[in-house]
Amino acid sequence: MSQPLQCSLCAEVATVHLSQVVGGKVTKVHLCEACAGKGGAVDPAVFQLADALQAPPAAAELTCPRCGFTDVDFRKRGRLGCPACWETFGGALSPLLLKVQPEVAHVGRAPAGTAPLGQLRHRLAAARATLATAIVAEDYEQAAKSRDEIAALEAALKPA
Amino acid sequence: MSVQEILADDHDPARASGAQAVVLSTRIRLARNLAGHPFPGWAKAPQRQEIADRCIAALVDLPRFRRGHVLRMAQEADLDRAVLVERHLVSKELASGQAGAAVISRDQTCSVMVNEEDHLRVQVLRPGWHLRGTWNLAEQLDDALAAALPLAFSERLGYLTACPTNVGTGLRASAMVHLPGLCLAGQMDKVTRALNQDGLAVRGWLGEGTEAAGNIYQVSNQQTLGLAEEDILKHLGFWIKHLVEQEWNARRKLALDEGEKFVDRLARSFGVLRHARLLSSSEAMNMLSQLRLACDLGCLPEALRDQVDRLLIEGQPAHVQVRHGSPLDSDGRDLRRAAVMREALRAFPEVGPPAA
Repeated sequence: MSQPLQCSLCAEVATVHLSQVVGGKVTKVHLCEACAGKGGAVDPAVFQLADALQAPPAAAELTCPRCGFTDVDFRKRGRLGCPACWETFGGALSPLLLKVQPEVAHVGRAPAGTAPLGQLRHRLAAARATLATAIVAEDYEQAAKSRDEIAALEAALKPA
Repeated sequence: MSVQEILADDHDPARASGAQAVVLSTRIRLARNLAGHPFPGWAKAPQRQEIADRCIAALVDLPRFRRGHVLRMAQEADLDRAVLVERHLVSKELASGQAGAAVISRDQTCSVMVNEEDHLRVQVLRPGWHLRGTWNLAEQLDDALAAALPLAFSERLGYLTACPTNVGTGLRASAMVHLPGLCLAGQMDKVTRALNQDGLAVRGWLGEGTEAAGNIYQVSNQQTLGLAEEDILKHLGFWIKHLVEQEWNARRKLALDEGEKFVDRLARSFGVLRHARLLSSSEAMNMLSQLRLACDLGCLPEALRDQVDRLLIEGQPAHVQVRHGSPLDSDGRDLRRAAVMREALRAFPEVGPPAA
């Protein structure tokens, strides 16, 4: 990564980087603070303009060591090459993910035999919140339940 | 193991009793991939073959798929593949490719697609509104698969999928809903916007751009990461209950406001379906929608709704041709479809006023 990216609308240095995914096609727009501030950031017209202004992508910047998939490939297809791609592209994909998903952290199930750490942590946070609310409401029965739940979850999360 | 057997089998999710008013079916779909293999879209043909063989071998071993069907898309005729799509057993994407396969349970409630966008797409489909039951079945299948195959999973990102829109839980929970009341009341745009704003997608049940088909929509969660499965299910459940309530309100209002005109419209749809000589797919769909509404309101015996639901499937293009025994052009299908409807509706009574 040598040259700083230029704003798509003026020639200033870009500090705001946006990605738009429509129908599997990824479009990137780079804006300076001034142009982003003008409200151009969420205007679909900005993406159309950027499309027109953008030169075709040069060499790939990222390549998956496992399957050879590149970021140029992702821009074309909107899908990744293999599970290991998530390690290579995960960081770059975070802003994209946040456009679709509420959080970049898994809090659901895990394959049988694997500890669902994300899920346990999520439940622990929820139980702590319930405990706090119960105490304020003087609902000591619920508070006791929550305390038991918290103890069980903390034990489950303790490294073996 | 063939599409013919699937058609001959009496276990038709659309026909099984339990299809309720408004919610036609509940579906849980889980996206899973094998660790250490490229996703189907990036894999070379020999790699896809290896993935398919491995997945199918693991699936047929599971009790759920004993006496089930294994169908490799490359070996199935075009019409047979289209039948599977019309029954919601496989997606259009799987049916249109050559590398895919489907493993389908005997009772047709469980169907696993191999080499679609992901290595494995587990689907459980049940008639009516049964979110818990459907989820429990999917969960069992998921556990069984995890025990048999090394699944691609990361602690931070969850189940790793080909597309960022599926990563995390890989869960798409959805319901097919019949909304003639809200459609006739011109409320669908408002409803769609409200659901979209709360993270739910609303699509015509036959895919994008076919919203008018029988007033049937698919409502599903859009988000899969940063939410636990429980949250996703609760969220969908909340909205579906709300939607059902709104739909009934709209129906009641229509019946009240329009009185005889309302029943007349239902009766006319019945009349056309009962006697027409030519019926296009969309015509048949829209009139069957009216008939379904008639059953819900007691204008026709409620017990006949299952038959109407069966006709919604049988009236589709591939089904019409396969039942006929050979491909048909558009006019041929319209002729055949009309014959199917006439025959099926022969024993139906007259459309009467709504039950009190």
